[in-house]
Amino acid sequence: MELNRLHLSNRNLNLVLLAILVTVCVYVTPGYLAMRRPDALRQGPGVTRIAHLSDWFADIKGTAGDTDVYILDSGKPGGSALILGGTHANEPAGYMAAILMLENAVPLQGRLYIIPHANASALTYTDPMEGVPREFTLQASSGKRVFRHGSRATSPMHQWPDPDIYVHASSGQQLSGSETRNLNRAYPGRADGNFTERIAYAITSLIRKDGIDLTIDLHEAAPEYPVINAIVAHERAMPTASGAILNLEIEGVVMGLEPSPATLRGLSHRELGDSTATLALLMESPNATQGRLRGRTDEALILTGKDSQYVRGQKLGRLFVPYDEKGWPLHLRVARHVGGLQAIFTAHAMNAPERSIVLGGVPTYDELATKGLEPFL
Amino acid sequence: MRQAAPIVCTLLLLGAGTAKAQGFNLKAPIATQPTLVTGVGQSADIEMVKVLLNRGKVVFKADPQAKAGALAATGSKSLVLVIGGSSKGLGAAGISAEVDIERAKGLVAEARKLGLKIIGLHVGGEGRRGQMSDKFITGAVPLCDYVIVVATGNKDGLFNQLCGKGRIPLDSVEKIANAGAPLLKAFK
Repeated sequence: MELNRLHLSNRNLNLVLLAILVTVCVYVTPGYLAMRRPDALRQGPGVTRIAHLSDWFADIKGTAGDTDVYILDSGKPGGSALILGGTHANEPAGYMAAILMLENAVPLQGRLYIIPHANASALTYTDPMEGVPREFTLQASSGKRVFRHGSRATSPMHQWPDPDIYVHASSGQQLSGSETRNLNRAYPGRADGNFTERIAYAITSLIRKDGIDLTIDLHEAAPEYPVINAIVAHERAMPTASGAILNLEIEGVVMGLEPSPATLRGLSHRELGDSTATLALLMESPNATQGRLRGRTDEALILTGKDSQYVRGQKLGRLFVPYDEKGWPLHLRVARHVGGLQAIFTAHAMNAPERSIVLGGVPTYDELATKGLEPFL
Repeated sequence: MRQAAPIVCTLLLLGAGTAKAQGFNLKAPIATQPTLVTGVGQSADIEMVKVLLNRGKVVFKADPQAKAGALAATGSKSLVLVIGGSSKGLGAAGISAEVDIERAKGLVAEARKLGLKIIGLHVGGEGRRGQMSDKFITGAVPLCDYVIVVATGNKDGLFNQLCGKGRIPLDSVEKIANAGAPLLKAFK
């Protein structure tokens, strides 16, 4: 009798727990699936064609790794540049700078390629246990704009399981297993590699087939990371990068210069520079949302970068960027990237005038820093 | 951008004009072209100095790890030391700070034998100070005939102290881009 009652009680408890689980799943699933819907990006006045990354490597066609490639062709002789945003989809200044460029830039000389979401799969989920918002909203001049905020690496739904150790194919370099889904450890990629390596291979193929002169990969880093507010350059891109830094300095923007380490493999600035003719560069801006010292992680942190823990970290001398109560707002981080891009194009034009990339319509660093992103989106 | 290139050049020239108006502590050119640019501390700052020299049309060769024995063969008539330590740069070069300081001292000694003038630049500002960089600064600055420093790197007056209150002419500029003017003025 007692045993029967206990059995019934356990069964009821199980049913209740199951019902709670189903309710939670029903509640969160639409939000989770909504992250698979692409952001609505405006086609700017300079866009002459929208291609797909699979046009350069058909194997990824129809997969979550395929992504839009915006081409802005002036029709006039000059050089070509590729802007990569969203290599890490939890670094919003990178892809917002790319989006701002594609919605505003007008090519006057040469060709510009923009991939705002280089790892589109990484934008379809957020990292478990990090409590990071799935999206953020801007009241832009074109209306309310909602942008997804994803993860550092390819979704495990698209590439699973991770090995214990990730071995970079062309160098044999060993990293932790989760890095196997990190696009910026996968270059130059492999046609017969894993999902992320095939995305990297598609990007490398685009650079090779279209003879891209300059490739700029836009990133962010935690304020406690030493390579920050900096341009990282392959040795062949050093004259361009150092010229760009001087150009930025004239505008009052301080940017560091870091050489691409020859022994750190799989990164865009190393592998694309080594395996293609492109001048490979990467830019970093400071982002508290991906840092380990951060406090409350919400949409406001993405947009303002204000965090009392980072102010404390600065006072303790633990950071590599100045950090005060003003934070590092998204528009200032994007301004650094956009100003940096223009400074790179200027330096490249000085070094190789016949391969110039000239753009009109792009807001300046000062305009973005003072007016914010909203008037330009 | 090609359109912006003239603007940048104009700004640099304006910087040079302003610099002349300010009057530098180095009163007359001391160095002859071509020059050899080398790093002391193996920082990426050497790349910035190369841009300044290129934009000023100074004839130079650059070798971050130039050695005393090879100096004469370069045909250089002066030496530019870009001072500032980088653990990454030293690591990439596969040398220690001590080895690089000794290399620089040997190079300077050889330059002296050959009658070359030596210009030192510290353009990394505050970020290129601290225990690592200060080893190179204290080792190299007293060996120079002329020193240019970006002001944020000299907040504590270390460069004034090392230059011996005017014994070695020292010029301080606010930005790296402004270092081009006194640097060009140092060449005949």
